Amino acid sequence: MSNEVVSVRGVSRVYAEEAVPVHALRDVDLTVVQGEFVSLAGPSGSGKSTLLNVIGGLDRPTGGDVFIDGVLLNDLNDTQLADLRLHKIGFVFQAYNLIPVLSAQENVEFIMQLQGVGAAERARRAREVLQALGLEDMSDRRPGEMSGGQQQRVAVARAIVTEPALLLADEPSANLDSRTTGELLELLKTLNEERGVTIVAATHDPLVMSYAKRRIQLRDGQIENDSGPA
Amino acid sequence: MKVGLLATLSVRNLLRHRRRNAMLVAAIVVAVAGVTFMNSFIRGFQQDLRDSAVANLTGHIKVHAPGYRDDPSIERSFEVATSWQPDIDAQALQGWAARVRVPAVIMSERETRGVQLVGIDPAQEGISFLGDVEFEGEQLSGVGDKRVFLGAALRDQLDTRVGRRLVLITQGSDGRNREAGFRIAGVYDAEGTALEKAYVFTGREALQNLLDTHAVTEVSIRLLQDPAGPSIQRRLLSYFTGLEVLGWRELEPQVAAMFVFADTAIFIWFSIMMGALVFGLVNSLITAVMERVREFGMLRAVGMRPGAVIVQVVMESTVLMAAGVAIGLGIGWLLCASLADGLDLSQWASGVEMVGMRSLVVPRLYGEDMLLVAVLSLVLGVVASLYPAWRAVKINPLEAMRR
Repeated sequence: MSNEVVSVRGVSRVYAEEAVPVHALRDVDLTVVQGEFVSLAGPSGSGKSTLLNVIGGLDRPTGGDVFIDGVLLNDLNDTQLADLRLHKIGFVFQAYNLIPVLSAQENVEFIMQLQGVGAAERARRAREVLQALGLEDMSDRRPGEMSGGQQQRVAVARAIVTEPALLLADEPSANLDSRTTGELLELLKTLNEERGVTIVAATHDPLVMSYAKRRIQLRDGQIENDSGPA
Repeated sequence: MKVGLLATLSVRNLLRHRRRNAMLVAAIVVAVAGVTFMNSFIRGFQQDLRDSAVANLTGHIKVHAPGYRDDPSIERSFEVATSWQPDIDAQALQGWAARVRVPAVIMSERETRGVQLVGIDPAQEGISFLGDVEFEGEQLSGVGDKRVFLGAALRDQLDTRVGRRLVLITQGSDGRNREAGFRIAGVYDAEGTALEKAYVFTGREALQNLLDTHAVTEVSIRLLQDPAGPSIQRRLLSYFTGLEVLGWRELEPQVAAMFVFADTAIFIWFSIMMGALVFGLVNSLITAVMERVREFGMLRAVGMRPGAVIVQVVMESTVLMAAGVAIGLGIGWLLCASLADGLDLSQWASGVEMVGMRSLVVPRLYGEDMLLVAVLSLVLGVVASLYPAWRAVKINPLEAMRR
């Protein structure tokens, strides 16, 4: 119980603002423990991104409870949710979403700055992570001066440098070619196995699924199949 | 809140759109420089109005017998000891003058006019407009001089000249008319013809002898600094018991009203210029926010608090405004410095005279006015950014990142 990073209990999400209410999630239960690498797969509209967003505190469920590292998200206001995301969750987005006016090093330091980490400590940790990801030569470049793969690696560096309890990746390979995708997945695998980073990735990509130790298939807002903890 | 981080983001985001933001800064510069210059012009007009009123025999403070302003006759006079000196610090006092001023009729061989006949000590009149005027002929030699000098406009009306004689009729202290002939010592050329037509001057003792009195009708005091007036006024009141001791605002209520109006005009001018600018600033900031919807969405997603998003947008607006204000104030100052010798309005002299101004207006730029423009502009910059900041906070991270 104590090593549960994600606990989703009876979660549903209905988008009532549409002409016909859309049930994106229906009574979903899911537990992810520390050190797991989980893929959420399924066709478009199956609810994988919605589930990822609910876990990440970016979307609020219509019903049910979501716990992250033991904290119930339902009762948190916007500022408290922002603080939880800042301190417990790392995000890797489909479109990288780096800050265009900051260099790679500054992007990696960004979340640590929000957390209030001192300048020297920030610089040291950012350099370490960039070096570990093979980006030490890119540290002064801005996103516009880097390839898609390099940008995604910087995004991963930004997400893991604070050593979050959970790394959430939304279609991390969607904008990458197969070689770069392979490099990224090797990186995620290393982070998972060597650093014990808990990863949940929503994906269409069979290659991403193949790297995950636990594969969850969603359909029509429900878990259709769960390979179970490795 | 990480102010350094937000400041870095703000400045770099502004530099991303150099041309657009340069245009916006240019608009702020023009507005601030225009407001600064116009303020200095209005201040120049305001100070000129006051100085003209004060110099027009009024002074900053004046002592009268009660009722003299309604009925300016020699019966409403008072005596001042010959040894009297105002109890005013020399650093605050420019000078003082005791005068006898009575209504009179002046006659030349050809014309007759109503005037104010003023008995003066020429040595004391450096405090009035007489200290600055140009003279034709001679000035009075002292308080006992029985000659007169008059304005150029009155000389023309009376069709006379220096050296000729004039007859003046006025009422003596016993209520009976006095009539005497005076030779014209000189003619003064003042800024306005109204002054030249109104006043005829002679020696104070000479006029007192004519009126059969030792009294004066007014003591006028000119200060070096106007704000020192009220406290000095109170001191004089305790000395001149039973007399009226009035400041220039009470003596010249129309000028005082114009003086206050000038303060209001500065605010009106500022509000119009900067108000128009604020709409441009709001529009530009909304554009900047809408262009960065994904970025703001990501910032919120990774844990930036709503308050920090607001501060970032406010900072962008403030940096733009601060840059424009600094340059605008500098250009405004340069404009004023280039016109330090004054703006010549002589081609509109008659209109200018009507509002009591001289034809040369010197722009006056005060530090407190510049500070006020800077502070109000920055406040407006913050206010202008609140709506765009609110829009940025309302961005849904999920919807933003789906774009």
